[in-house]
Amino acid sequence: MASPLAPVRSVGRGALRSVAAIGRAGYLGLDALRALRKSDLWAPHLLGQMARIGVDSVPIALFIASFTGIVLALQASYTFTGAVPLYFVGSLVGKTMILELGPVLTGLALSGRVGASIAAEIGTMRVTEQIDALETLAYDPVAYLVVPRVLAGALMFPMIVVLANAIGVLAGWGTAMSLLDMSSAEFEKGLRLFFEPWDLQFSMIKSVTFGMTVTAVGCSFGFHTRGGAEGVGKATTRAVVVSSMIILVLDAFWAAVLLK
Amino acid sequence: MVDVHKAFGEKEVLRGFTLSIRDGETTSVIGGSGSGKSVALKHIVGLLRPDQGDVWVDDQNVSRLDQQSVYHLRRNVGYVFQFAALFDSMTVAENVGLGLKRMDEWEDDRIVERVTECLRLVDLVGFEGRLPSELSGGQKKRAGLARAIATEPKYILYDEPTTGLDPITTAVIDELIVRMSEELGVTGVVITHDMKSAFRISDRVAMLYDGQIRMEGTPDEIRATDDPVVKGFIEGRPELLPEAS
Repeated sequence: MASPLAPVRSVGRGALRSVAAIGRAGYLGLDALRALRKSDLWAPHLLGQMARIGVDSVPIALFIASFTGIVLALQASYTFTGAVPLYFVGSLVGKTMILELGPVLTGLALSGRVGASIAAEIGTMRVTEQIDALETLAYDPVAYLVVPRVLAGALMFPMIVVLANAIGVLAGWGTAMSLLDMSSAEFEKGLRLFFEPWDLQFSMIKSVTFGMTVTAVGCSFGFHTRGGAEGVGKATTRAVVVSSMIILVLDAFWAAVLLK
Repeated sequence: MVDVHKAFGEKEVLRGFTLSIRDGETTSVIGGSGSGKSVALKHIVGLLRPDQGDVWVDDQNVSRLDQQSVYHLRRNVGYVFQFAALFDSMTVAENVGLGLKRMDEWEDDRIVERVTECLRLVDLVGFEGRLPSELSGGQKKRAGLARAIATEPKYILYDEPTTGLDPITTAVIDELIVRMSEELGVTGVVITHDMKSAFRISDRVAMLYDGQIRMEGTPDEIRATDDPVVKGFIEGRPELLPEAS
């Protein structure tokens, strides 16, 4: 018969594992900061990582953004009918895409695409001793593997989010004109009504931190992978779950700090 | 290595491991699977740090060196991994030349020449542009050996270089290890449980048992021993080991 304390032990073990994972990620972060000065190791790989993390992620980010824009326009129209002037559809689509859904949905989607890929790649390198091999060849693996990925995430996520915001708004605009009884001028009026340039900066700040989170968490779980193929699978799953959770926490944090 | 202790969680792998490697000689460390041979080897290049004890290479205590000094020391050490550990995304030539790119004195033209020279030594000329996934197990091991020798190291550490290979490829690898020592004067440490290989390539053999060096000597001394643990291992007679009684 299972001990009545088994659930408590399980929670305790989980908590200890989480604390240990945070500690390891912290050490890796410090190592990455120190490794920034070894630009001869990370700089040659930065462009390649920017293409893999950024350019290759554009199609999925735009796909998500365009359908989000369509749904936002339709739901706003459904909600406002008869009570609020229809041009507020433009306000809601613009505000919601730029402040929230553009960065967050892109971040969550890319935690699956980019974070999982990084964790699997680095995790495989760990269990096949390729990271040890790098070390024996006098390469600092943090400078060689982690720094270019995290920098690429920080630089490319904002660019993807700008595109996602634009496509989301354009999709909402197109929907308003084709499926709702709205003119382009009406949508534009609503869009301009509450628009603040700060909204764009807010969106960028969030997306930089999301990009760093997804890539750094992927690197950390990959780097500390143990136990062969099964370990790589676990590391990949955990990287996606943890980076998604951190993105949602950061989302609330930035809203509380920057939107007062 | 002097009185090295290393544990992973509750499991104590090395418990007072002490071993001296003589310059210019090849020393094989033998022992059962999971006895800690690879763990001991990784201490020599600072891939692992001991919980207790010291590891000395060229009068430097590896366990006390800062990271930068460890990287500097590693330029004198080549490491042949058990499963080659070639970089998947790089060609054979890129793998072999990678270590040289970290050394200022090696320019691109010389790197290309050196890569070809190393591939010739391991009989892999013509494989420069292949990816590791396109090589057989033996070819991967030879490419790993080429990568290890490319930087002209003073020391080469071999982690089970012949495990899983057919007898012919094993003989080829053994021959290479002997040539490294005899022609280039490289000091070698070989982790193996292939006794035939160990006796063929080694100047000295040390047996790791229960976290410590049980016996060290020339191949002839090892063959002639009455120690039941060593005798049981080299003759493949488990009934001689203390665990059997």
